[in-house]
Amino acid sequence: MRYDPPFHLTNGLIPTVVTVVLLAVFPFVFDASYLRHLLILAMVFAIVAASWDLSFGYGGLLNFAHVALFAVGIYAYGILAKTYGVNPWLAILLSGPIVALVASFMVLPVLRLDGMYVILVTIAFSQILYQIVISQSQITGGTSGMVTLPMLQIDGYRFVKDGKIGYYYTAFVLMVGSVGALFLITRSALGRSIVALRDNKYYAQARGVSEWKTRLATLAVSAFFVGIAGGFYGSYVRVASPDIFGIGSLTLVLSILLVGGLGTIWGPVIAAFIIILLSESMASLGPWRDILIAILIVAVMIFYPGGLWGVVQELRELAQNMRSSMMARYRRGAERAVRQKITGIPEQMIDTAHGRIAVVDIGPSAQHAGPPILFLHGNSACKEAFQNQFAHFRDRHRLIAFDLPGHGVSDNGSPEQTYNVIAYADIAEEILQKLGVERPFVVGWSLGGYNALELTSRNPAAYSGVVTTGTSPLTVAPDDFARGHNAKSHIILAGKQYLTGRETVTLASHATVPKSDKSAFLHRNVRRTDGRARYYMITKLTVVDWPRQMRMLREGDIPVAIMNGDDDPFLNHRYIADLPFGNVWKGHPTDIPGGRHAPFFNQPEVFNRELEAFFEAAVKDRTLRRSA
Amino acid sequence: MSVESFLFVLSGGIVLGALYALMASGLAVVWSTLGIFNFSHGAFIALGAYIGWQVSNAEALGLGHVAGLSATLVVMFAAGILFQQIFIRPFERKDNIIAATVITTLAGATILQNAMLLIWGPRAKQIVAIAEGTISIGPVAFSGNDIALIVMVALILGFAGWLLARTRTGRSMRAVAQNRQAAELMGLNVPLLYALAFGLSAAMAGMAGYFVGSIRFINPTFGADPLMKALIVVIFGGIARFTSPIYAALIVGLVESFTIFYLGLYWAPAMLFAMMTVVLTIKPSGLFGHHQRTL
Amino acid sequence: MSLLELRNLSGGYDPIQIFSHIDLTIEAGESIGFFGPNGHGKSTLMKTISGVLAPWTGDVIFDGQRMNRVGDRGSRRWRNFNYDVVTRRRMDPKTVARAGLIHVPEGNLLFPEMTVAETLAIAPIAGRGRGDEAHQLELVHALFPRLRERLKSKIRFLSGGERQMVAISVGLMGNPKLMILDEPTLGLSPKLRQELCQAVGQIKASGVPLILIDQDVTFLTELIDRLYLFDHGRISRKLEKSEIPSHDDLMAMLFGDHAA
Repeated sequence: MRYDPPFHLTNGLIPTVVTVVLLAVFPFVFDASYLRHLLILAMVFAIVAASWDLSFGYGGLLNFAHVALFAVGIYAYGILAKTYGVNPWLAILLSGPIVALVASFMVLPVLRLDGMYVILVTIAFSQILYQIVISQSQITGGTSGMVTLPMLQIDGYRFVKDGKIGYYYTAFVLMVGSVGALFLITRSALGRSIVALRDNKYYAQARGVSEWKTRLATLAVSAFFVGIAGGFYGSYVRVASPDIFGIGSLTLVLSILLVGGLGTIWGPVIAAFIIILLSESMASLGPWRDILIAILIVAVMIFYPGGLWGVVQELRELAQNMRSSMMARYRRGAERAVRQKITGIPEQMIDTAHGRIAVVDIGPSAQHAGPPILFLHGNSACKEAFQNQFAHFRDRHRLIAFDLPGHGVSDNGSPEQTYNVIAYADIAEEILQKLGVERPFVVGWSLGGYNALELTSRNPAAYSGVVTTGTSPLTVAPDDFARGHNAKSHIILAGKQYLTGRETVTLASHATVPKSDKSAFLHRNVRRTDGRARYYMITKLTVVDWPRQMRMLREGDIPVAIMNGDDDPFLNHRYIADLPFGNVWKGHPTDIPGGRHAPFFNQPEVFNRELEAFFEAAVKDRTLRRSA
Repeated sequence: MSVESFLFVLSGGIVLGALYALMASGLAVVWSTLGIFNFSHGAFIALGAYIGWQVSNAEALGLGHVAGLSATLVVMFAAGILFQQIFIRPFERKDNIIAATVITTLAGATILQNAMLLIWGPRAKQIVAIAEGTISIGPVAFSGNDIALIVMVALILGFAGWLLARTRTGRSMRAVAQNRQAAELMGLNVPLLYALAFGLSAAMAGMAGYFVGSIRFINPTFGADPLMKALIVVIFGGIARFTSPIYAALIVGLVESFTIFYLGLYWAPAMLFAMMTVVLTIKPSGLFGHHQRTL
Repeated sequence: MSLLELRNLSGGYDPIQIFSHIDLTIEAGESIGFFGPNGHGKSTLMKTISGVLAPWTGDVIFDGQRMNRVGDRGSRRWRNFNYDVVTRRRMDPKTVARAGLIHVPEGNLLFPEMTVAETLAIAPIAGRGRGDEAHQLELVHALFPRLRERLKSKIRFLSGGERQMVAISVGLMGNPKLMILDEPTLGLSPKLRQELCQAVGQIKASGVPLILIDQDVTFLTELIDRLYLFDHGRISRKLEKSEIPSHDDLMAMLFGDHAA
């Protein structure tokens, strides 16, 4: 089981609640019935577009019969409620399954075909439906359609009264219900199978996803909701017209889907309101309205294929970048004293190829017994994480630590160039060179461990030794990344761009210790970290020369120590124990009892003692011969 | 059924087939070269008819058929290239080109259709018959217009076929259709060839529109039915080579003609779609198709 | 002046980067080889050199001309914006081919529905060797006598070896100044392989410098002046002709003794 945050933990809850509440109280504030009419239409088309998104966006089925299915829903309502006199409420409910049944006829050709052919077949299917409707004029009214369909009422209260308030709330309930259900489906096992089939059909099948069952379910579920929407629409406009099969309504719904963004469910819902209001406000323009809407669609497709949802995402990223870099700038000045108290020395800002980096250099001019030590902190942390080591080793070693770009009080970097293991090692090299540090030990924690291995494997002879903690070395990325870590843990959060408040606490607690006075600064740094640093690091995993690191661990003559908490929640301890270590201190990983993911922080005494012993052994004999 | 009515239905089917062949070949040229389906093809057909009417008809400029056909050819070729530059070119290197261009060509069709409505109004128009009189072959009399249509369609298709098979540009176009990357690496100007292919397709659509306009009334939504027919032909026949839509068009024309005669007007489209769906389900690449996309 | 110069070249398939920071210079008249495990980015690098893929960073300078436009991928700030509309392609394979750098990609399928003769007829590149087709064609026939009999066959009816011959011929018809041959002998029988290797040798002897990728070091060593070992998206070693070890030693060098 993968970590799968519930809805309230993902960031969508608050905007959603606000929107729902606004829509719910809207009729109490405005009683203009025309505006309500527009909102009712928007809500109907929100269901149509969102349900289409399930098959089109999530399923990757280029199903162009969806709008025709909407029309079938309208006709189903008309025939049931008018011709057979079924209760209108029941007729709406029945439209869903009827349309789902009609849609399931498409599954056979859709299974046999792909890409362009699916588009053509579904368009042909909607043409067949259209032909059936206009040819069976005794049932459907032919080209003139059906009029005066029954309207919704309860106990003689007609829903169109009081400014259509009844219809408004029915549409509201239907929209919230359908969109909510669609959202849950996309997050269910079915939703994952749908996406898996879209992304890699054969792999998904090999993993046991049944293609025809999933495709059938996709079509049927998306048709069910559009059928309900059609039934309701029929009861509202009280006309079933074959015009709905035409290119005009297809273009309208398509524009909603695209402007909203494919594969997002929420995007089309927002876009439905915008496009319907826009389209209705241009109703007086005649043919120009269609031309303008078409131009809008083309412009969105050409310039901004991500649609509205893409705008929302980019604004969010921009906001996070601004917030985190402002936070860094503020802390750089305002909290200088606090950090200085921890490290005991003023930090310096060093200009590197990847922006300004905050560095502490403890005891640069003093004479030390041992070689210098470079500390590299982990994902979403900061240089002060090593405060216990600073205190312990400062008398005997020169100590250097810096904040990675996007972390601590360093600058944010450019996501493409800066946020990856190679660039981090470049920065470390640059800083060591600028400070004139020679032959240091490199101690890396978690992500910093990868940085340390990358740095030292470039030129092992230039380093006295390397220590990783909370890191599992890789040979093949990303496969070994999955094998080396515990998938049940919250490691997924380490690559997540946006964290909610709760996820921030969760990540920090699992990576270090639950929040306390001592660890508060580490928790605070998760919020400061540029989310892009977490996200882009993952996309750049493949360009790192992992086998070079593994060769160094296996055959190199640089002294290596692997020190992990024996209860580290992120690591797969067996994977690490089975690695082919060569010149590794003690010949095997050193477990720190109770260290969790940050043993140097949670168990400083044990960790420092082990680290000191390793340093001594490595200085004495670089090949760490196990003579003892 | 008498021999006369059989031959009458047959000749009607052949005329339909010839027109469908012209429409469908244009569509197939774009599909096989650019790998996309042009939903504006119907609007191109209508636009060609309107331009032809504007130039040739006595109510408008009144310059006659030769000027009308040449103007349609030239204007539609240019319009096709312009259309391709705006609606297709931005997606040429995208992975989602198929879905994206379905959407932009649909939007393009809406724009063209409404623009035609604004320019020429909703009133139906007709291009005068290209040739008058009737020609009797055996017991059946063919209208001169029909014969002229068939001959001209054959000439146009023959010319297009020659262009693709024999000229350097045509061969390069086929090369791009079959393997874009290899063509690029040979130094072929792929964007230019794409534009030419689209222009050729639009010109063929314009010609088809001109001919259809001489036997039916033209209105802004006049392209919808030809588009569907061309779509059926192309899917039904596949696009293995330049000639496959032509055979398929003849089959479709004949089936349509006979269905209307025996079952009635309403059943013809349903029959054709059913035929297409069956062929697709059994042989997705079409009746004459290969798996490989070619021209 | 060097014939081909790569400066700090990186690239990949968006969003995954495949190779990074490649610096390489080929002087006029030199041939070089690439050797390395499959899937480590050799072919992606070649595709970037010939412009099929746009480079992420860096420059490709061929014959004194820069083949790419300036700027790099990192300048694209808005992730959802379609930059292809406002900025022209960073690199165009047409320009590269017309400058005389011809790439014969790995497993080239060419144009299945066209005949060999038709394919060779459109192969001469505008501004390079057009007008001299007859002479070029003779050279090609001399190199691959087998093709003469198959001129009227469609390419999809040819065997893998014959296709590869057509692909190389198509490249030669473009009158290359430098030719990239990406695994020309991939998946061929030993006999055909030998025939092709000889042909490649003749091409080299006729004065066309090569960038050659192959999995057989012995074959490479005969033809090239320098060998680049390529793994994990980087040039890990540069070996002059005299330093190239035997195949087995090279494998050990790349993969360690464990692989042997």
